[in-house]
Amino acid sequence: MKKIIYLICLSLFMYSCKDDDNPTGSLSLQFTNVVGTNALTLETENYTNTSNETYTVSELKYIISNITLIKANGEEFIYPIAQSYFVINEADANSKTVALSGITAGEYAQIKFGFGIDQSNYPLNGVNNFIPTAEETGMLWSWSAGYKFLKFEGNFTPDGGTQDDFILHVGSHGATLDNYKEVVLDLPSSIAVNESGSATINIKADIAKIFDSTNTHALATKSDIQVDPVNAPKIAENVRTMFSINN
Amino acid sequence: MKFLTYIFLAIFGISCSSDKETYMPISSNPALEFTVPSNFPEPTYNMALNPPTEKGFELGKKLFYDGKLASDGVVSCGFCHIQDFAFTHHTHIVSHGVDGALGTRNAQPLHNLAFQKEFTWDGAAAHLDLQPVIPITAEVEMNETFSNIISKLQQDPSYVTLFSQAFKDQQINADNILKALSQFMIMMVSSNAKYDKIERNEGAVFTDSEARGFELFKTKCANCHQGTLFTDQSYRNNGLPIDPQYNDIGRKRVTGLDTDIYKFKVPNLRNIEVTFPYMHDGRFKTLPDVLDHYSDGMVNSETLDPFFKQGDTVIGIPMTDSEKEDIIAFLKTLTDDSFIADDRFSEF
Repeated sequence: MKKIIYLICLSLFMYSCKDDDNPTGSLSLQFTNVVGTNALTLETENYTNTSNETYTVSELKYIISNITLIKANGEEFIYPIAQSYFVINEADANSKTVALSGITAGEYAQIKFGFGIDQSNYPLNGVNNFIPTAEETGMLWSWSAGYKFLKFEGNFTPDGGTQDDFILHVGSHGATLDNYKEVVLDLPSSIAVNESGSATINIKADIAKIFDSTNTHALATKSDIQVDPVNAPKIAENVRTMFSINN
Repeated sequence: MKFLTYIFLAIFGISCSSDKETYMPISSNPALEFTVPSNFPEPTYNMALNPPTEKGFELGKKLFYDGKLASDGVVSCGFCHIQDFAFTHHTHIVSHGVDGALGTRNAQPLHNLAFQKEFTWDGAAAHLDLQPVIPITAEVEMNETFSNIISKLQQDPSYVTLFSQAFKDQQINADNILKALSQFMIMMVSSNAKYDKIERNEGAVFTDSEARGFELFKTKCANCHQGTLFTDQSYRNNGLPIDPQYNDIGRKRVTGLDTDIYKFKVPNLRNIEVTFPYMHDGRFKTLPDVLDHYSDGMVNSETLDPFFKQGDTVIGIPMTDSEKEDIIAFLKTLTDDSFIADDRFSEF
């Protein structure tokens, strides 16, 4: 009898507090926005795209979401969805460090994240708690009750033309068009997350690719993109390609 | 053997003490039953993800009628959505906002929201939990931020209590604010008009005029105002002349598609008798004005719904005066007095 009780007790203890069994660690994602090989400097620096347009950037913000870490064997650690939404704002140094904690310890070989807000989670799984952050950073399209995934503004001068402003706002268009993109990056050397110390993944975002990547976008063609079902998906596709690991 | 049971109990009781601290029994917060009327389709709103409860409903109602959700502390949701008029802004052509600001569209009635797929005149909100974000943050409506609302509510002990009773995580946050509002709104089911009692064979009968009107309605209106909900939930251009004051592009504002310009959501017609004025911009004061538009007032444009055209000619909906009278008599059978007077939804 005693033996049975002992076994029951033991097994209950094992199961009832399962959460405490796995060691966890923290990880920070360090975002660095660049233009080709140059650092991104807001307002003052001129850059040139492949359409021979010079441009300066006054504002650059984008939403990163649904962070997942993947082991070499394909096993995934999905960061809690409700806490997995961030605005990266070039003008705010703090926003460029995304601090994650409670990650199951282990060696990770890949990182997967989203650009924007995926419609399957919106407005579910607590994602509505991201509204205040999006609101404070101007990433909410209030009249369409959706998010701007990218807010990229500045001015440009086409080759031989006159200077004008550009505004690129890319997001979802109601339920008709989802510009959410998934980014998967291989980590050059696997990242170890453990209880002691914090690991860092440096993610480089090459802003030049917003204009020139899978698609080429000349601002002279269209410099004001807001709820634009033709151009916004092309820009979103380019954004998907702008990230790389810089560890 | 009894001894074993005690051990089980003791172990379960203590082994996850960290969970126990945050857990509050919610037995004092019974679930609300959402009954689908027998003549209605299944709801679109996924209630399993936000099951309505007594406390959640009470909280949602308090929020709905609270000016704290607006920057001026006055313009609550209920300010423009008045129950006596099926939650519309009686006689107001367009919605009114803080500091006397005017919106550009007529406040839509609130009922049977659990059965709708998208919300607002252009379908900007693809989920009921998102709809309130639009009026709350719009400068010409409530002009407030969620961060401010959260901090205002946190300073009010009655909200601290209600949120802790209504939601397991007890948090005053944007998600719970929106969920509570949805719990209140999904319960607003209008299904006891004379029409429903006839459709459900509950003994009511149409008058001769209403019966003629129903037959006319089926051939002339039900193409868009379909089924028991009286809308096919599509977006269509019904040939309203463009009002240069607003030049409202309608659905195109959401999709960016040229093919959606000047299209608006086909409104449901329940309680239409009391929801005047009519159309997305409230331009028509009476139901005869509305029917006169459909028979004689339409203007052609690229996106005018094909239903109103024969070849390139705009034919609208041909109706005689007596036919219009019959149709209006039928439309009045959609008025649900018990919904309009339902104390569960009233402010006081």
